[in-house]
Amino acid sequence: MINLTPSRLWIMRATFTFLIVTILFFHLLPLQTAADGLIWPDLILTFALAWSVRRPEYVPATLLAATFLLADLLLQRPPGLWAMLALIACEQIKVQSRRLRDAGLGTELASIAAWIVGIGLGYRLVLALLLVELPSIGPALIQIAVTVLAYPLVIATTHGLMRVRKGTASDIDGKGGRS
Amino acid sequence: MNTDYTGPLRRLILVVLVLMLTGVFLLWRIDSPRVERFRAQVTDSIVPNLDWAMAPVTGTVNLIRDFQSYGRIAKQNSELRRELRQMQAWKEAALQLEQENARLLDLNKVRHDPRLTFITGVVLADSGSPFRQSVLLNVGARDGIVEGWATMDGIGLVGRISGVARNTSRVILTTDASSHIPAVVQPSGQRVIVAGDNSAAPPIDFLENPDLVRPGDRVVTSGDGGVFPADLLIGQVAADPGGRLRVRLAADYERLEFLRVLRHYGIEPVSDTNDVLRPAAAAMLSEGKDE
Repeated sequence: MINLTPSRLWIMRATFTFLIVTILFFHLLPLQTAADGLIWPDLILTFALAWSVRRPEYVPATLLAATFLLADLLLQRPPGLWAMLALIACEQIKVQSRRLRDAGLGTELASIAAWIVGIGLGYRLVLALLLVELPSIGPALIQIAVTVLAYPLVIATTHGLMRVRKGTASDIDGKGGRS
Repeated sequence: MNTDYTGPLRRLILVVLVLMLTGVFLLWRIDSPRVERFRAQVTDSIVPNLDWAMAPVTGTVNLIRDFQSYGRIAKQNSELRRELRQMQAWKEAALQLEQENARLLDLNKVRHDPRLTFITGVVLADSGSPFRQSVLLNVGARDGIVEGWATMDGIGLVGRISGVARNTSRVILTTDASSHIPAVVQPSGQRVIVAGDNSAAPPIDFLENPDLVRPGDRVVTSGDGGVFPADLLIGQVAADPGGRLRVRLAADYERLEFLRVLRHYGIEPVSDTNDVLRPAAAAMLSEGKDE
């Protein structure tokens, strides 16, 4: 039973931005200067997808595009490509969010896993087509797999810690209607 | 609120954003230096501001890593004693080699280039991705850093400056996949390329005669092409289990804190030959023409 007032909306959007900036901060810490380090899952993508399923209004398209582009710039990726693929994935998830919410956890996991694999492979395909230098395929596949495996933990965190939960029939949105 | 997600306005905004992001990517593909400068400026404006938060977190994580090692103290102690005995034997060998080296250097009268002054920088951040090996330094254009300069830690070559902003600059490490450094393997004197491949020991390419090279040989930069200064220590040759020759890097990549950026303004080309070689003959020729 959450009152979806405009101020709460903007507070949650700011919280999402802060979350992404924190993840970037931990990526940038100089803890892994030697090669052969651990490959971390793509937490920015998983959190964006988890929030898109549960509360699409907290992550509008402009905010997603801006944060993804910032992540691309700071993490030394070709800027714009991964951001575009992730934005398309999040928007499609938002369209299907009601259906996914009602269908249960298994469908959501399968759908999100398909999208994550699609983004990963599509990214490498476009880079290969445009003759951009790619890292070797082994670590990239490991990263896709680890990201998919990390998604249930991300769901648990968003549901439990951040209290970003699916809108139930008893929630009242800002204009007084039921969501 | 929910009807917004299927409306035409939302689709329009989405199309505009996708086109903008595709435009940024194509701009990067076509005119990479401009976009990379923009990326350097964005990094420059964000990362140093997070410096106050990064330092305590990095310190805490390193403290925890050290703390985990305290649990193995007894075992470490006996290992260290054994190593100490071995080190004493090496110390003797090193002293003898040092004397021999001094004699040979004296013979050659070789001096290190006094023009190689350096700027010291502190590592602020790493590359943030397991596929790119680079670090960010806190010195930039306002300290006089120029693209392409070599970077060393106290002992060996660490990488190359690629991307300079006003207050920060990025160093591409020798372990990164896009790093290719012309080098010389001593003592056989063969010219090779040390090409990084995202592993901790970059492989050696273009080696003409592998029989003359043994694990343990020193690899130094050759200065070919005027790209890097010559005679910077890169590491030692080692053979991996597959038989491929790699370089075990002399710099300590696990603990990169203070790096030196070596100022290098290129090797001057030799342009006028006659005056250099035979000034007396040239003077005689000009006298002959005047007559």
